[in-house]
Amino acid sequence: MNYKSGICTFCGTGCGHLLDVRGDKVCGVFPMQNHPVSKGRLCVRGWNVHELLSTADKITTPLIRKNGKLVEASYDEAVACLVDNLAKYKKDNSEEIGFLASSRSSNEDNFLLMKLARSVFNSNNISLDSDPGHRNSLDVLNRATGMPGMLGSLEEISKADFLLVVGIDITKQNPIIGSELHFAAMKGARLMTIDTRNTQIAKLSNGFLQIRPGSYKVAMAYMAKVLVDENLCDVDFLKRYTEGFEQFSKTLAALNDDEVAGKTGLDVEQLKNAARDLALSKSAMVFFSSGISGFDSDTIGYIFNLYLMAGKIGREGCGVNPVTGINNLQGSYDMGIAPDLLTGFQSLSDKSAIDRFNKEWGVKLNTHPGKSICESSGKLKALVVVDHDETIVRNVNEISKMDFVAYIGSYKNDFVNYAHVVLPVATYAETDGTFTNTERRVQLAKKKLEPAKNVLPAWQLIAKIAEKAGAKWNYASPADVMAEIVKLTPNYAGIAYDKLQAMGGMKWPNGAARLNIESAPRKVSFAEIAGGLSVPLASEEYPLLLMIGEAQHYWHQNNLMKKTSIPLREYNATLLLYPKGYVAISPQDAKDLNVRDRFTVKIVSPYGSMEAMVQVTDKVKPKTAYVAYFVDDMVTKFFLEHKDVLKRGEDATIPVRIVKV
Amino acid sequence: MYLIKKSQVMDIAKELQKEYELYGPVIDKETKQTMFVKADDAAEIDLNAPIPAIPPKHVLFPNYERIMSYKYDRQNKKVDIKPDFDEKPKALFGLRSCDLTGVLCMDRFFLGQEFADEVYKNHRKNMFIVSNTCIAPFKQCFCVCTDSGPAAQEGYDLNLTDLGDQYLVEAGSDKGKKLAEKMGLAKADDSHKKAKENAVDKSISLFDSIATDNKAWISRVMNRVTTGLIDEKVWEYIGNQCIECGACSFVCPSCTCFNITDPITAPDEADRMRTWDSCSYEGYSRMAGGHNPRKPVEDRRSKRFFCKLSYSQAKKYLRPGCVGCGRCQWVCPGDIGLPNVVTYIRREIQK
Ligand code: SF4
Repeated sequence: MNYKSGICTFCGTGCGHLLDVRGDKVCGVFPMQNHPVSKGRLCVRGWNVHELLSTADKITTPLIRKNGKLVEASYDEAVACLVDNLAKYKKDNSEEIGFLASSRSSNEDNFLLMKLARSVFNSNNISLDSDPGHRNSLDVLNRATGMPGMLGSLEEISKADFLLVVGIDITKQNPIIGSELHFAAMKGARLMTIDTRNTQIAKLSNGFLQIRPGSYKVAMAYMAKVLVDENLCDVDFLKRYTEGFEQFSKTLAALNDDEVAGKTGLDVEQLKNAARDLALSKSAMVFFSSGISGFDSDTIGYIFNLYLMAGKIGREGCGVNPVTGINNLQGSYDMGIAPDLLTGFQSLSDKSAIDRFNKEWGVKLNTHPGKSICESSGKLKALVVVDHDETIVRNVNEISKMDFVAYIGSYKNDFVNYAHVVLPVATYAETDGTFTNTERRVQLAKKKLEPAKNVLPAWQLIAKIAEKAGAKWNYASPADVMAEIVKLTPNYAGIAYDKLQAMGGMKWPNGAARLNIESAPRKVSFAEIAGGLSVPLASEEYPLLLMIGEAQHYWHQNNLMKKTSIPLREYNATLLLYPKGYVAISPQDAKDLNVRDRFTVKIVSPYGSMEAMVQVTDKVKPKTAYVAYFVDDMVTKFFLEHKDVLKRGEDATIPVRIVKV
Repeated sequence: MYLIKKSQVMDIAKELQKEYELYGPVIDKETKQTMFVKADDAAEIDLNAPIPAIPPKHVLFPNYERIMSYKYDRQNKKVDIKPDFDEKPKALFGLRSCDLTGVLCMDRFFLGQEFADEVYKNHRKNMFIVSNTCIAPFKQCFCVCTDSGPAAQEGYDLNLTDLGDQYLVEAGSDKGKKLAEKMGLAKADDSHKKAKENAVDKSISLFDSIATDNKAWISRVMNRVTTGLIDEKVWEYIGNQCIECGACSFVCPSCTCFNITDPITAPDEADRMRTWDSCSYEGYSRMAGGHNPRKPVEDRRSKRFFCKLSYSQAKKYLRPGCVGCGRCQWVCPGDIGLPNVVTYIRREIQK
């Protein structure tokens, strides 16, 4: 049969698909009917993945920069060039060498890159380039429960009778999860959305609260207070399984209705009802974004604490569920792609974990935590970048100043312009590899076709680099790599390629559909809340609150989508309408500003300004504005001025003034 | 009319494979999913397999296909165009009658109008079709509402009907007759014809108990869809559930929309690719200059159902565009497969 089973490679949902493979070509795609997550569905991205896989825009040969120009080279030459250059900066703690990994790489490829960085080049400067949002979620959940991943699962959505969606445009970001929520609501579950914008899922919900930007945590704290005030907490559950409730509940006492109404712009009665629905339901889940516009730790902490008080964690159909935007974002953290982490969220400062790694790898690991590229503040001299997905090169100033940049990837993109060495690798359809979706489901995507012209799969290339640098690695296949991962990673115990052959793979830990609260080694603790409940305020000078998010087809400035034809057309459809990007404002604000759709305006903040066209829509409330995070100028210029603000994730709200041009 | 023993029915497929690329319903071992695909070995084909997840549309109208390549000669200012037609003879074996109806709709779209689509024509011209009567429906079927089953009425070269220990083989063309004669099949008589009629009647009677997923009494709705007398709220309800994935178009046996792109393959060379398209996409109806007559998603949705269910469209296909296979309902991330839309509209009419 020419249709070969695989996993969609775009978002963290991890839908099952069948690729129509004929010879060396991918000629089509079809959904997998019996797949446990997607059950025969795909979204617009998934339905067009074959266009990406058959693009001519691939890197097909290694390249080395000579006299300013990239010229063809052999793998041996290019690998030697990379190793020689990194060797110049290698020390016991190689602070000048950095690795920028990709949340699209398979677990095996990421693991080996992590091993290369730490054990061969003594550098702990390894990180993902974006999505700090997911790290926040994992930190909060791990500290509180010991489980650094989704506490519930997608497979149990149909078992929840209260579903809360907070600040995620889920039918756009992870459409098939949105579909599951919609189906559950049609079968009778209560679906509730809290968002700054009137999204599609809001329209499909039984209840929708349109909240003021930056005030999610106030709403969550207030709902928690309602549970306390109205004696709706699950007292037995709290006693038996949790600690820290008293302390947390004390911090809520000061909240008063007027303050909440003022900050959130909501009628507190509605919040009260939502809290009651949650408490009185038998099982409940909450979904929030864990990608680029994910929440800050405090907001996640409040969400978690609220659900804990209601006893909606660790039970069937329950869970606090961060949703990953990119296909292997969860897997990347599982593989230790962070300056301070080893695999499975083991800390670099955990002595026994380090010992295990040292023994297995026969090395003595450098245990000084590294820095991510965003934090490196000009210290890095040499950088290895893998599969960088963004056309718009962020941190472009730092990168262009570096002495040496290597790029490893399958597809051409702008990053190549900064590279001194370029190394092609096979696409995900051309080698075996596993990917971990947002519900901790590890799935095997099998090799379906041969890579072009001797192009190596990443796991082989990384091993080749390690070998050239003097290490002795011995992997015959990605299955061997997984065996080593499992040895070193307690929460991956039991996973092996022979078990992953079956459709749907296996969730860590041990196939668990949810956090196992009975067998937890310690009580679940309430999340600590660091800051107060202040919200960004508009002023007379800057009267609008600007929110930042993703639009349907621009999903993380996705370079990959631009290598397709149908999604590319969709992308262009909006870009042609709004070539400078757009800022969405309400009809009322448009009237006040005396502008119509597609008029050019200037957005002025205390730190900078940019031009964009307006999109007039009733999706946003008056006195708020929304920009899609994708157009070149916006990202490189305007938002860079707001780097610190952006770190706050979904709370990244900028007070601005909009003026007609 | 001929007969063939059940144990020998695959001989027809084997015979066809001598001359044709053989396609039929194959159950994938790993995923247990039935796909209508090319069979390297006739034995892979399973006549009893459930309705294939993918209809045979892709054999005639591939998902993503190169239809020509061209090269510009700068010096002589000449373009060298090479069409890329696939005229290999293909046999579709074990087609269900809804899917055959889909092929007929495609014929009328690609061949039945002013322009004949050469690419399609080449896929189609050397084709042999063996259809298979459904002696029982599947859960999602509603072909009895769209007059496209459970038995094929036209368009086949041979039609098979399971009569217990043997198959009735009806020839629908000279080609079919020739093959049956060549294979020396036994002649059937009126009693076998009667037996087929009984089998079809029984199949229809089973719809009530088996085909419970979907009911689409489309005749009532066609009038409304044609005249546009449907409350906007119904379209809005439908539009709200559309995540714009395109799946309904892609799995539809009669959807024919496509897009064309010309990826560059060398400095002065390009391919012309044809790829499935869907009216649910925003860019699909956008015109040059930025105007989009169907910007809101509910407008694009109503267009699809107009295409499947209006009289004006039916004139083109000589029948409704919907063939009652139920696939769109199965792949839809909302709850707006065609049969459900029909239900929503009927509900509104009743009010
Ligand atoms: S929801 Fe995500 S995984 Fe599923 S088809 Fe769409 S992009 Fe692929």
